[in-house]
Amino acid sequence: MIELTKRRLPKAAHAAPVLALAMSVSLASHANEVTISHYFTGELGKAAIDRIAGNFAEESGFTLKDSPVGHEDFKTDILVRAAGGSLPDVFSYWAGARVQFVVDSNSLTPIDDMWAREGMDDVIAKALADSATLYNGNRYLVPAGYHYAGFFYNKKVMDDAGVEEFPTDWEGFLALCDTLKEMGVAPIALGSKNRWPAQFWFDYLILRTAGPDYRASLMDGSASYDDPEVHTAMAMWKDLVDRGYFVENANADSWTDASDRVSRGEAAMTLMGTWITGYWNGNGLSPGEDYDFFEFPAITEGVPNAVVGPVDGWVISANAENIPGAEAWLAYFIKNVDAQVEWASVQGALSGNVNVDPSVYNSVMQRASAAVAAAEAFAFNYDLATPPPVAEVGLSMFAEFMDDPDNYASLLSDSQDAAMQAFDN
Amino acid sequence: MEKSNRFWRAILLAGPLAVFSVFVIWPLLSSFYYSFTNWNGFNPEYDFIGFSNYTKIVTDKLFLNAAINTVIWMVAAILLPTLLGLALALLIDSRVPGGTIFKSIFYLPICLSAVVVGQIWVWIYQQDWGLLNTVISLVTGETMRFPWLAKPDTALGSVIVAWSWQQTGLSMVIFLAGLTSIPEELLEVCEIEGTSTWQKIRLVVIPLLAPATVVVVALSVINSLKGFDILYIMTGGGPFHSSDTLAMHMYNESFRKYLMGYGSAISVVLFLVTLTVIRIYFRQLRKVDEIHG
Repeated sequence: MIELTKRRLPKAAHAAPVLALAMSVSLASHANEVTISHYFTGELGKAAIDRIAGNFAEESGFTLKDSPVGHEDFKTDILVRAAGGSLPDVFSYWAGARVQFVVDSNSLTPIDDMWAREGMDDVIAKALADSATLYNGNRYLVPAGYHYAGFFYNKKVMDDAGVEEFPTDWEGFLALCDTLKEMGVAPIALGSKNRWPAQFWFDYLILRTAGPDYRASLMDGSASYDDPEVHTAMAMWKDLVDRGYFVENANADSWTDASDRVSRGEAAMTLMGTWITGYWNGNGLSPGEDYDFFEFPAITEGVPNAVVGPVDGWVISANAENIPGAEAWLAYFIKNVDAQVEWASVQGALSGNVNVDPSVYNSVMQRASAAVAAAEAFAFNYDLATPPPVAEVGLSMFAEFMDDPDNYASLLSDSQDAAMQAFDN
Repeated sequence: MEKSNRFWRAILLAGPLAVFSVFVIWPLLSSFYYSFTNWNGFNPEYDFIGFSNYTKIVTDKLFLNAAINTVIWMVAAILLPTLLGLALALLIDSRVPGGTIFKSIFYLPICLSAVVVGQIWVWIYQQDWGLLNTVISLVTGETMRFPWLAKPDTALGSVIVAWSWQQTGLSMVIFLAGLTSIPEELLEVCEIEGTSTWQKIRLVVIPLLAPATVVVVALSVINSLKGFDILYIMTGGGPFHSSDTLAMHMYNESFRKYLMGYGSAISVVLFLVTLTVIRIYFRQLRKVDEIHG
């Protein structure tokens, strides 16, 4: 321990200006620091963020103080930080009901001024901007990238089955599954261990039979899980399970387990988001050669063609200390075409920046991009379309359904009661 | 001298007390406070809603399910490691060949964190290539692909087995220490009198192991109440709430549904239940202490 004696005081006096300088340098560096948290912890995603952050620092003079948290744990982590009043300046979040929830909780800073200043209307695709960035009349989110859910399949398995054309209607889809099953391959892999992968089935069956408007009313609580529309969708899902199209014990597999089953050829396809391309590419598979995709087929005639997927975005917390730096990061991330191209490539995502030429995507992502462009509506997947407490009810219901599909009528009735309670909260 | 001691006692206690107050007392009081609100965790503003969260508990089917699972968890998580630990201790104490090595092997799991133990057992239970299904397949000659953690009937039991595997070593070591304190003469008298092994264990060993049993049960109670991490890693309370305990239910309501106020109410109930169990236990402990001096 250092004693501050009279003899040492002159030295201390000399040190004071140095300390003051060091403190002012430290404060200045804090002024240029943007605290950020996100759930992009995969090897490629994290490396890409680091590179983009490095380029951002060079161009803007702001440095990012990064604290990434794994995807599933992030949901808890960000709530803990919010509860403790220590949200970072910027954090990644899922557009839709989750951002709406945080906006309604007064925990985000609107970015309308930055939006106008940076000319975001000319950068972000209008449909995406309207659906993902506007909450209660204000802009709050800048999309980092978005995904699209479709059937991703093992090309060799489909070739071996002699499949040349992929189904565009329900009868064709059932016929494809029958062909695959006769060949001894499980037609569909589903890994619903973490529950959310099952939601795409519910989403598409509702959207293709009852349409986007009905689905929107179910998500906001004005329609009931006990409605005939929902029963019809669940009965179709049950029919698929009864026909033996799904790999057994879906609740034992994670989405990567299910993806591995497809890549190994144990199953032919899986209904998943485009991030699966990032996973498969990372495992050495080649898009268009080892795997490809087709869209969820039409079911009821006259129902608008809607596509499903999540939008990852950046938001600024209400208590952000460095709003200029935070806004600069949001603007840089979406406007910088190189950053968007790299990001889309490693994440298996589509860019929301209209200046990104779709030809930079691989062949599979190009077709996914075209499918989204041709769709009449873009819908957030279930757990991003309905408030989080309600989503919990539905996600558990989907997993329980996969365990005991015969019981779906009672599950829907129970879910309606639980959803109403959750909406009331 | 006494005054100086008191001063140092106060100084030395102040630090731990401050830490305890900040990390235990303050959160505890906060939970009581928030249990009367509709706070969602994100919003700094919230309303006081009286006892609504507590009345909701009464009608919450998932709470009842979690409460039943908690009772099953506690009973099994106390009984299994205690009985298995006692059995292993008696076996090793009977000087079986390699007893020392077995003692070390059985004790090893307690050195691992619950997260590591949970992950090991997730692999053991894996349906395609897990050790358990592989062994059953080899023994029966038929392919076994049972998803132990993905079926509601087996998920909780499977976690209890993993928990017991970890905790048994601790019980065994304490019982072994207890066995060394039993006078050899007593056991020799048993042999001279011609008692069977079972009679010796039942009438002499087990009663004299009461102090060790008290310690084992105390640790089992405390550890089982803390048993959240292994459940979180292995099942997360699933599939569809079949392995939810009260701690897991509280977590789900607070962090997945964003119902912090309701989650706080559940945590208060859990705290009161724990307090009651601990009080009953310590009352019994005092009685045992009085008997054994």
